[in-house]
Amino acid sequence: MKLFFASVFAILVVLSITAWQIQPNTEVKGKTSLLWVSDDNPARRDQITLFNKMYPEYNMTLDPSNTGMEKVIVQSLAGAGPDVFDCYNGFQLTAFVKSGIAWDVTDELTKRGVNIKKDVWPAIQPLIFLDGRAYGMGTNVSVDCMWLNKDIFAAAGVPLPRGPWTWDQFVPLAQKLTRRDANGRIIQYGALIDMSANWLQFVMQWGGNLYSEDGTRCVLNTPEAIQGLQYMHDLIYKYHVTPSPVEEQAATSGGWGSGTITFFSAGKGAMALGGRWWLCTLRQSTNKLSLGVCEAPHGTYRIFRGYGKSTLINKNSPNRQKALDFLLYETSQQYNELINHQADGLGPIIKDSYTDKFLHDKEFPEEDCNAVWRESMQYAVPEQVSPFVNGQAASRILTKQIDLIKNNQKSVPDALHTAQDQINEEITKTIARDPSLRARYEALMRKGGAR
Amino acid sequence: MNKQKQTKDVMTAMAFLLPNFLGFLIFTAGPVIFSLIISFTNWNLQKTVPFQFTGFENFITLLHDNDFWLYFMNTIYFLIGMPIAIGGSLVLAILMSQKLKGIVVYRTLFYLPSFTSGVALMILWKALYNPDFGPINMVINETSRVFGGSGHIAPQWLLSTHNLFGLEVERVAMTVRQWGLGARDAIIFMGIWTAIGGNNMLLYLAALTNVPPELTEAAEMDGAGKWATFRNVTWPQLAPTTFFIVVMSFIGGLQGGFEQARVMTQGGPANTTTTLAYHIYTKAFEEFQIGYSSAISWILFSIIFVITVINWKLGSKDLNY
Repeated sequence: MKLFFASVFAILVVLSITAWQIQPNTEVKGKTSLLWVSDDNPARRDQITLFNKMYPEYNMTLDPSNTGMEKVIVQSLAGAGPDVFDCYNGFQLTAFVKSGIAWDVTDELTKRGVNIKKDVWPAIQPLIFLDGRAYGMGTNVSVDCMWLNKDIFAAAGVPLPRGPWTWDQFVPLAQKLTRRDANGRIIQYGALIDMSANWLQFVMQWGGNLYSEDGTRCVLNTPEAIQGLQYMHDLIYKYHVTPSPVEEQAATSGGWGSGTITFFSAGKGAMALGGRWWLCTLRQSTNKLSLGVCEAPHGTYRIFRGYGKSTLINKNSPNRQKALDFLLYETSQQYNELINHQADGLGPIIKDSYTDKFLHDKEFPEEDCNAVWRESMQYAVPEQVSPFVNGQAASRILTKQIDLIKNNQKSVPDALHTAQDQINEEITKTIARDPSLRARYEALMRKGGAR
Repeated sequence: MNKQKQTKDVMTAMAFLLPNFLGFLIFTAGPVIFSLIISFTNWNLQKTVPFQFTGFENFITLLHDNDFWLYFMNTIYFLIGMPIAIGGSLVLAILMSQKLKGIVVYRTLFYLPSFTSGVALMILWKALYNPDFGPINMVINETSRVFGGSGHIAPQWLLSTHNLFGLEVERVAMTVRQWGLGARDAIIFMGIWTAIGGNNMLLYLAALTNVPPELTEAAEMDGAGKWATFRNVTWPQLAPTTFFIVVMSFIGGLQGGFEQARVMTQGGPANTTTTLAYHIYTKAFEEFQIGYSSAISWILFSIIFVITVINWKLGSKDLNY
């Protein structure tokens, strides 16, 4: 028995040594290793390859396993964080800065001649700037437009819509393109709209806001916001042109490469509200669609939700100075052209979308609607955030109420009333906890507050 | 000499125990004590909040928090699958204890869910529960059609806030409007499927082999039927195992729900699958309120402790070890 245990132990030791010896080596002799925590979009590999080519002194690698704000913060605070990481919204930026892991790069970028305010799309500037200081550089940017399945339009004998257009113009068209089977079950939707991602766009397009201008109060319970969300609700339950949550489950598992995109690429919808980044998946789809794009419909106001991501540098990284080169890389023409070519949204630098190369990509000659994206970007407004509430807490409250609206379990006014009350309660709790925020809040309230 | 040898033996034993004991101190006892201390503070990962001791404030706040009670009810609700899972394990163990050809293969197959990745299983079940294309609903709808129904009767599973007890979404109450099958029940059914062939089955299997055959033989000789033999001979012999399984299931159930929420539902729809375990995670790592989430952990520990003591008091009375 002793011999057996000794043998097992010896085998385990040998196996451990072997595993240690053959583990992939991320260190390349003579090069500085940089780690980027980002999602596992195949486009990311080419972006890294180009960086390593342009900056041969570095060996950048991707870590897709540790995305997520909480992981980045906890790991960075523990001294095991990445060198650069993604930031998806203004709340995340606030959290990264407050946690002390986002490096203020304002002076460093100014020294290197980068002018983010002038050169980068405004829709992602709240992901870069906090209180006038820059903490990173835009990675990519997007706005949702209406994807069109040209074959479905042709089969129905309906001309392709052209923007700008309103939701009232959209509804009869979508109804015309909605098809049902003998049992009355919808087999093809007029449009696929991920309500969880787009509800705020409806609020904004009808003149509503999530927060007051100074961020001191949630102001969702207004006639404008109610009207916008009611319209969204009606698209599902009154006009029946977009999937209810039951059908939506197959369509919204989220993230790139899945969800509504898959549903659309399977020919289940004549139109779909989505970003240019959908092309990363649609180009690879086995079911090749004949695609068109037009501006998304609007309500009272012709505005759209702009989104994207920025890249921040870990303040605690020993390589933070060197990681600045990655931010510079993101300002380069080569990087922006690569993003535009990959269709991973649009490149962060505005001028690189105003080229003939952007409009007519030789590799994808059939994609002739690129002008629509940059046109829509001009009407894109950034997501609204309040510095006085934890974005995750607000998101939890909002998700619950939007779920109830989507499931037809609560009226829009009731849900917005609850959401507003609960978020304002969170604001009260947050400023009670955080003296610096309290001082700032009180200063704003003295100025007039809740504008 | 004897004393010297005794001391040497003790030292040797201590040396063997030391690595494990140190590991326990550093990785278990230390964090547990640390979390208790932290639960009396306002520790927040966002450095703009100054660290300070706040006494019982976290505990008072959470006991007045409507969300805490909703998530507590969700946690309790998930326990309703426990008796079925335990009963199922027993039935399966009895079947698996039969002397059949290839029984080892069957045992392995039924134990498969226990050594398969939980995340993989949950993704599989998520697909099974798809209201439109999932095989479960296809079977339900087709069956309804065969019997002349509308063919659209299947539940919305992970999308629905309905539940068997009609629990309300926004307050701790019951209503007929919420009655039905929904996300919570979907997770319970999946849990039952996983648990039936799991460790409980193995425990019962081991316990069944320990039932003295002379007792069952004597019962048979006295003319007892199979059911009577099971009820009067086998079942009492299984009592210690059943007691252990019930206690462990309560503890596991009250601590559970995290993986399911994280992988399948993100705590939704409308937070109906958010359990206390998931609430602890979101408060700590999404909202950064480490002090507050530690307080929730300790409240959860207290609940588990009280329930275990009650189980012990009630369940261990008639045990025949």
